[in-house]
Amino acid sequence: MQSIINSIVKNRNLIIYLILSFITFSFLYNNSSLHYNELGKISTYLSATSSKFSSSINSYFNLKQENEKLIDENLQLKKMESNYRFTQIDEDTLNSVNSAKVIVNSINKSKNIIVIDKGKLDSINLEMGVISSKGVVGIVKNVTDNYASIISLLNTDLRLNAILKNSSTIGSVTWDGLNARILKLNDIPLSSSLKVGDTVVTGGMSFYFPKGIPIGKIVNYDNSSLEGYYEIDVEIFNDFSSLSNLYILSRTDNNEIQSLIDE
Amino acid sequence: MNRELLKNISFYTIILALQLLVFNHFKLFGFVTPFIYLIIFIHYKISYDKTLLLLLGFLIGFIVDLSMQTYGCHTFSTITICYLRRRIEKSSFGINANLPLAMLKGTPLSSRVSFFLSLIAIHSIIYYSFIFFNISLLSTIFLYAFINSIATFIIVWIISRLISNR
Repeated sequence: MQSIINSIVKNRNLIIYLILSFITFSFLYNNSSLHYNELGKISTYLSATSSKFSSSINSYFNLKQENEKLIDENLQLKKMESNYRFTQIDEDTLNSVNSAKVIVNSINKSKNIIVIDKGKLDSINLEMGVISSKGVVGIVKNVTDNYASIISLLNTDLRLNAILKNSSTIGSVTWDGLNARILKLNDIPLSSSLKVGDTVVTGGMSFYFPKGIPIGKIVNYDNSSLEGYYEIDVEIFNDFSSLSNLYILSRTDNNEIQSLIDE
Repeated sequence: MNRELLKNISFYTIILALQLLVFNHFKLFGFVTPFIYLIIFIHYKISYDKTLLLLLGFLIGFIVDLSMQTYGCHTFSTITICYLRRRIEKSSFGINANLPLAMLKGTPLSSRVSFFLSLIAIHSIIYYSFIFFNISLLSTIFLYAFINSIATFIIVWIISRLISNR
């Protein structure tokens, strides 16, 4: 206490100066319209700047929540898009779309697998189609309670039904295990017309994907094959090295179709 | 002591009256009004109490503000130079800063000029900054402060010489 009093006595001139300055500013602020307006502007600027600063700090700490909110919003949009796409076939064909985060991913093997953080408890089942915001990613291969593994497009075992968007010529895409950006589009007869830049989408003739989900675009083709089919290189829209959020498509009629095939 | 106090009060009253009745109406080039009341803070003896100087600065600045309708510009400039006076004394007079009448005699002329000019210039810059209160008019503020400081310095210096000779 004594030291506080000593400190006040020692700095009494500064304290008195500040008090007198405060009185002067009050006098100035209350009596001069010029100073009232200018000080008002400074006050507005300071409060706006400080609010902006605190708001940007809050935004930074809320980034995770904002990100999750955006993912949910994206999910809703994906559902709407899928529903719209299937309306012409059957409104109930596509049951739901789930979102998931990638926790394991590889692109440097011949049989690449992706693991996601959703499993049976989240209604993920075998052979569901998996897409990202840019297009097809793969098909669910194994499911545990909380996790699922996906056969990536970059897996030499996967063969996916595909069509050329412009001509609807049916073919299939595979990966030859060489270049992580390039797939092979097979079974397109030489009689079909195509050009570099044509988009390749899912054909819809499988349990996994509805028709029209983007896969990639043609970057190169060879029409000199003696077998009567093009050899086509397709550049994948997805960058598999940076996948993070995926969407799992669930179709309700898979079991029904499968039972018909089994009979 | 009482005689000295009476003498000081008379001096402050005369200077203040001169400022209010004569120099407040003096408009050289339309804007130059010498602030001769600053002589009170220049001549305030180094040995006197600094807290009292602050209160005296506030009182005189406030009276001048009321007479000139400047709403606190003089008061703030005055209390600021009163607060900074100890530092200005040290920077101007150096080791002679403890002489009671250093600002009038017994010190080099350059030190006295520096002391006078520092106090007057700081006061003028603060005063015009508050009068214009606009950063875009910075050059005008400095021009007005410069011309006003010169005019004030000349008059204050002359009065100081007269007091010193007496």
